[in-house]
Amino acid sequence: MVKKITIFTTNTCAYCVMVKRWLKAKGHDYEEVNLDQYPDRQQEAYEMSGQLSVPVTVITKKDDSKEIVVGYNLAKLAPAVT
Amino acid sequence: MAKEIHDVVMVGAGPAALSAAIYTTREDIDTILFEKGVIGGLAAVTDWVDNYPGFPKGIAGLDLADGLREQAERFGADIRLGEVMSIAEEDGLKKLVTTDGDIYAKAVLIATGSDYKKLGIPGEETFYARGVHYCATCDGAFYRDKRLVVSGGGNSALQESFFLTRFAAHIDLLVRSDHMRASEILQQELEKYKDKITVHFNTTTDEIVGGADNKVTKVIGTDKTTGKKVDFAVDGIFVFIGLLPNTQFLKGSDVGLDSIGMIKTNEFLETSMPGVFAAGDVRSGATMQIASATGEGATAALMMRKHLEELERTRSTT
Repeated sequence: MVKKITIFTTNTCAYCVMVKRWLKAKGHDYEEVNLDQYPDRQQEAYEMSGQLSVPVTVITKKDDSKEIVVGYNLAKLAPAVT
Repeated sequence: MAKEIHDVVMVGAGPAALSAAIYTTREDIDTILFEKGVIGGLAAVTDWVDNYPGFPKGIAGLDLADGLREQAERFGADIRLGEVMSIAEEDGLKKLVTTDGDIYAKAVLIATGSDYKKLGIPGEETFYARGVHYCATCDGAFYRDKRLVVSGGGNSALQESFFLTRFAAHIDLLVRSDHMRASEILQQELEKYKDKITVHFNTTTDEIVGGADNKVTKVIGTDKTTGKKVDFAVDGIFVFIGLLPNTQFLKGSDVGLDSIGMIKTNEFLETSMPGVFAAGDVRSGATMQIASATGEGATAALMMRKHLEELERTRSTT
């Protein structure tokens, strides 16, 4: 079960738009961290994902475990939010 | 269970398919689109589009893609986020195996576009997304005040390099041949960025090397005029060396491909599989322009309408 979803994005990232659109279509709320607005949080995104890339979607489960999905990857995102 | 049958199924939702969908849905032709990547395709991940007619000041690729999507949805296009795995003929219909299950169509448009090619050099896979990138608008923001290599000499390489100068301290642009394939206007624009972009002609991109922290530390190339290796001490590399058509899912189908895997069509944009059409960057002979893709999309829509009318006529006379 999902407790919270956070997405790290940038202004120009089309894949970020797709992740947000897909989550919305599936009825999931999310918090967005725009790295153009908050560049000081880039390191946080990198440490969580191990990649210098957005979108980074952090799915926090009810037991506080975290699942990280990088990019617009429905094969990973769909099972992670169920 | 009853079959899910549609008049038209479009594979892809880039400029070609979205334009086709505007035409078909405006005529009340039941249309669904399947997109496994980004709605708007490569246009959506392009920072700025200056050569699409009707936008005298240019338009952000993401905004253009969103406008096309909105226009298609306004008339009833059903865009599904999923993947089509195969196409085959079954009982006079096209059967598409998709992530949403099997779907049947009277006509199909393949407009899956192309993706950026990879270099195929040591280090490219190892440092993927940790210094090796193919999307400047996605990943450029991670390179504030850093040094970069961009590999390529075409329009994308130049446009994306210009975009990356918003973040990067300096860019070494490695061009394999002694000239650029990019348009004259972009090459002239390069002058504006001469303090930030250094062009290295006749320079191949050979290897990507990283450090202990698993991030890129340098790119090694070869100066073809001297045959000597050249080291570029950089934090990352963006690769824009051309396009590869997204046609892998057509292997084993009746849709004929050319020698580089692009879809062959006749003058009506119909493939070798009757009732299956192709448009945009995936079509053999495509000019890889957004304006051409939207034009081909409109043409394909009219051809599909004709195909549906012929099907209807045949059914009513038999």
